[in-house]
Amino acid sequence: MTANAQQHPAYTRKPYRDRLWWLAISPSLWAVHFLVCYLTVAIWCEKTSAETDANILRWLACIYTCVAMVAITIVGWLSFKNTGQSDQPPPDEFDDLTDRSPFLGFTSFLLALLSGIATLFTALVFVFVKNCD
Amino acid sequence: MDDRAERLLQAWQTPKGWRYWSAVNNSEVGLWYTLTAFAFFLFGGVLALIMRVQLAIPNNDWLTPEQYNQVFTMHGSVMMFLFAVPILEAISILLLPQMMGARDLPCPRLSAYGFWCFLIGGVFVCGSLFFGVGPRGGWFMYPPMTTEYQTDIGPDIWLLGLSFIEIASIAAAVELIVGALKCRPPGMRLNLIPLYAWYILVVAAMILFAFPPLIAGDLLMELERAFDWPFFDAERGGDPLLWQHLFWIFGHPEVYIVFLPSVALVAMIVPTFARTPMAGYSWIVLAAVGTGFLSFGLWVHHMFTTGLPGISIGIFSAASQAVAIPTGVQIFCFIATLLIGRVTKNVCILFVLGGLATFIIGGLTGVMVAIAPFDYQAHDTFFVVGHLHYVLIGGTIFPIVAGIYYYYPFVTNKQLSERSGTISFWLMLVGFNVTFFPMHYTGLIGMPRRVYTYPSGLGFDIPNMISSVGSFVLGISFLVVLWDILRPKRKQPLVPRNLWNAGTLEWCAQVPDKPWGIRSIPIVSTRYPLWEQENFLDDIDNGSFYLPDAEEGLRETMVTSTVDAQPMQVLRVPGPSFLPLLAAMFTGGVFIFSTYHWWVAASVSALFSFSTIVFWLWTGTALIPEKQNKHVGLGLTLPTYVSGPSAVGWWAMFITMLGDMTAFMSLVFGYFFYWTVHESFPPIEFDGRAIIGPGILWPMVSVGCGLAAWGAVLVAHRMNKIDQSLLFFFSLFVSIGLSLASALALSCSVYSTGMDPTHHVYSASVCVLVLWAVVHTLVGAVMLVYCGARRFAGRMDARHDADIVNVRLYWHFLMLTITITGVVISLFPLVA
Amino acid sequence: MSDLPSQSALDPAGVGAENIANLFYAMAVGAALIWIIVVGVSIYAIRFPGEHDARKTRVFVIGGGALFPTVVLTALLSYGLSMLPDLQRPAPQGNQVIDVAGVRWWWRVAYHLPDGEIVETANEILLPVDEAVEFKLTSEDVIHSFWIPSLGGKMDMIPGRETRLKLFPTRIGVYRGVCAEFCGTAHAQMSFDVIVESRANFERWLDNLRSPTNDVSLPGLNVFHKHGCGACHAIRGTGVDGVVGPDLTHFGNRHSIGAAVLPNTPENLSRWITQTHIVKPGVEMPPFDRLAPEELDELIVALEQLR
Repeated sequence: MTANAQQHPAYTRKPYRDRLWWLAISPSLWAVHFLVCYLTVAIWCEKTSAETDANILRWLACIYTCVAMVAITIVGWLSFKNTGQSDQPPPDEFDDLTDRSPFLGFTSFLLALLSGIATLFTALVFVFVKNCD
Repeated sequence: MDDRAERLLQAWQTPKGWRYWSAVNNSEVGLWYTLTAFAFFLFGGVLALIMRVQLAIPNNDWLTPEQYNQVFTMHGSVMMFLFAVPILEAISILLLPQMMGARDLPCPRLSAYGFWCFLIGGVFVCGSLFFGVGPRGGWFMYPPMTTEYQTDIGPDIWLLGLSFIEIASIAAAVELIVGALKCRPPGMRLNLIPLYAWYILVVAAMILFAFPPLIAGDLLMELERAFDWPFFDAERGGDPLLWQHLFWIFGHPEVYIVFLPSVALVAMIVPTFARTPMAGYSWIVLAAVGTGFLSFGLWVHHMFTTGLPGISIGIFSAASQAVAIPTGVQIFCFIATLLIGRVTKNVCILFVLGGLATFIIGGLTGVMVAIAPFDYQAHDTFFVVGHLHYVLIGGTIFPIVAGIYYYYPFVTNKQLSERSGTISFWLMLVGFNVTFFPMHYTGLIGMPRRVYTYPSGLGFDIPNMISSVGSFVLGISFLVVLWDILRPKRKQPLVPRNLWNAGTLEWCAQVPDKPWGIRSIPIVSTRYPLWEQENFLDDIDNGSFYLPDAEEGLRETMVTSTVDAQPMQVLRVPGPSFLPLLAAMFTGGVFIFSTYHWWVAASVSALFSFSTIVFWLWTGTALIPEKQNKHVGLGLTLPTYVSGPSAVGWWAMFITMLGDMTAFMSLVFGYFFYWTVHESFPPIEFDGRAIIGPGILWPMVSVGCGLAAWGAVLVAHRMNKIDQSLLFFFSLFVSIGLSLASALALSCSVYSTGMDPTHHVYSASVCVLVLWAVVHTLVGAVMLVYCGARRFAGRMDARHDADIVNVRLYWHFLMLTITITGVVISLFPLVA
Repeated sequence: MSDLPSQSALDPAGVGAENIANLFYAMAVGAALIWIIVVGVSIYAIRFPGEHDARKTRVFVIGGGALFPTVVLTALLSYGLSMLPDLQRPAPQGNQVIDVAGVRWWWRVAYHLPDGEIVETANEILLPVDEAVEFKLTSEDVIHSFWIPSLGGKMDMIPGRETRLKLFPTRIGVYRGVCAEFCGTAHAQMSFDVIVESRANFERWLDNLRSPTNDVSLPGLNVFHKHGCGACHAIRGTGVDGVVGPDLTHFGNRHSIGAAVLPNTPENLSRWITQTHIVKPGVEMPPFDRLAPEELDELIVALEQLR
């Protein structure tokens, strides 16, 4: 029995990076960027006339993207730092991190990468499509 | 068997005879749920075969267009609402607690209620087909066809019957989220959860945010159909596109809601047969969470041809591309696991591989249609029919059949035939591809979807005939599976325990199985405890872990913390009861009678349903236990009663209210959507009558009273906590009064100004927000009365305060609802 | 039955359709390659079980599952997006503008003439070759979708909105268009003919279209009047001006009947008039099966003479 029994430490407040919702931050940043871009375009194209300079729209998108990318990068960086806090993972398993913090850190880091790519995909649209047609 | 085991068995005994149907335990409810969903699948399949017979030859008049339209509408609706979503919830209800060494889900009666709602609603909706009054507007129900041009009850059956089922789906989602987060075995930290649970967690959260917009849309459409509120009537300022937005905000995540749980099954099956842990655990969690998020950014790709601006189209095209990345990652993780391990061949792995090969085709064609220019051609053609069936059958049906072969011994302790499994696999693979591959071609050469027939001479004849032949081969393959499931197996020997030699907890179950779920709740320190923890099964069987006994004869399971699964509480879960069945019947009555506009019957049914639910809550929830703490084994003592964020009830309320808020925000979205499409919103006048708004006074009075009522709720909670009984009742009383005043003031903003919701879409969209807020405020008042009664009856006190804590949580959300409503309807027009 | 005009997106006769067909072929080849590789590796993993090195597998997952899709999708997305502006851009000012309204279950077509006049026809569209044409699309009842697969993508017709579509035909010929959005009972029988002609022929046709009908003295037109056909249909030049149903002014020139349900022959016209609901279930037009045989013959002769 002894092998399976272990003591559970008393409940302590964990830092943010060890909470479940830390995982959701970078995808949420993508979601906000996505929604803001979409709503800006939808309102812009419905409410302004065709003659209005669409460059303003592209500048707006550029600002949104910079803000979102900076935020995602920060989250990704903090998460990445979190992966290194425990012992090295066993050599035969490339991600079998046995502790919770490295797991959350690594997964959040991957999610930040994915969210970054998705955000840049959204930004790419403004490069190719320049008006409300 | 020792005394402890005897007592435990006694507590978890399944009721016998006719009382069997009062069972609420996850193993019973999960099984009924699965079988019912599978029966609906067979029904939907027969409808598909009927369509294929009709389309086998050109100019066929075997079915009339009206019959065909009902058949294809029901095929889509049944497969989506009565099979795909329910079956995943069913399988999860059946398996999830066992995978996590729990004895049951935290709210078994809620699962039972959800199941009965599903059964009643499903039979009602399907039954309509046999009376020739089935819905015939497509599973997407686009207005204005379904509002102004179909005045029979078909669309009402769809709207009300399926809303009823959607509510049941949300109930199950709430249950599964709480289950995955709070009912894990001690030590099962976030990084040790079975991948299945990760997927289910993501999917249940998606249901929570995806279904409410559809329910909001259903509400709008039913208000238009029953009371002529012109949400989708272009003549009076409405816009059919709002429905498309709400429907697809639901409809696209829906695809992933259906697909991810099946991948979850694959993630359980692959490691077992590869004899190695899943490669890339973090990567798969990334894929699940990433897909969950990205899938909410795809909905407009169903609307690429509605004339939206190019940039909008591009934005959604981009997200549709991005979602392919996490999908690719998880497929590669599965293949990597197969490469790392030493695969034993088996019919399960055959179905997994067949599903993979099929799904990848669907995924690749999905990437194609996500490219907007190509979609301009492919949209609404048979190409899309082919694509979606590759995704859904490859991504869902094949894995589910693999799951049936894999988990059948878990449920029945008998094994299915490897031979007939192999036969059905090949029939399915061949039948499926022969049916659906030609459809890509048929679509590209110009055949639109949803046509009851087609002329000869366009080149459609041969590919359609091939598809029809293939569909029957596919049908036969399911008959083989069905036969294998149903054939009598009395003489067949029982399977050995853990026959696949799997590593996860559900395979701890003894053979023959006992109803207690698990003999004792283990401590888990690895992802595959059966492989990696020594002496594990013996320790469980000897009752060496937690809760090996039921001294009080009550059903108990363990609640642990969200991230690290530290033990927090012994949860008493309710036993058999007919209340969920009764409540579901009465709730069903409300929806079914409303379909026929029998308002009196519907109201009576609503009253009964309300009373049943109150009685259920009163007698079955937040009961004050006979002792504060309980020794659970291994020297650990846990509280038997907790409230607030440590309690499952609090989480259930929180999660439900997130869904509720999403539905409300969908209505608010509707308001602003109309603002964007109109030159001036609110308009000055319409149809010769001035447009009346709610003014500023009444909505602001309502917000003021609402905020004050919320403040009084906070005070009441505080007074209860410090045991000031008198002050508690006083503040409760004040808050009830204020909330009624708030509801009244909001109603006044409509009545005293003489707003007519049928006048213009502006009036209608204000009125629907008012209606929503008023109903929620009244519910909030009823909850306060309930809390007062609980305290008065001695069922709630300063220490045992779950009721008021949960109601306070409800009121936080209510406060937001009231404030947003007031601000939007009264202040926004000033700046618009 | 003889072959109908092409309705295939893989038989392009317009700039949009051509570009999209090429895009499809490229994507299909790429998809096939990816599928073969991925499925091949899976089958290999099962057929030849043997433990592979976890480190190499890691490269496999990161490279094949994450990097490769990201690169390919970025390229594909960029290419798809770069096609969009050209497809979305309206036809240049001064090009032919055609209004098309979806009506259950036929098409109301109106040509904008250079002098500002608008003339109506139905269920048949003539286009000049090698020119961009601008369509303005509306609906009079439910949502329809206007689709000529051989010329380009589709566009929905939504009540309360006006959508637009530009097509650029490049090959003279006859094509078929259909309604692509499910619109109720006769959705399957809501098609139309599209004829692409040289500029000169197009102008001749347009001149004829704007003129009233040629012969108003035919006895069949009395039958038309007597049985109230004019309540729904218009024949310009005869004083009949119903607006509920298709305009029949130059009916005799059209290729087909009943929104491209039947070829335009006297026998088919007779079937259409007397057995309307068998030919096209759900259609709004009532069957005129009480017509005396000679009345029917006269009516058919008259209608076929409307040129």
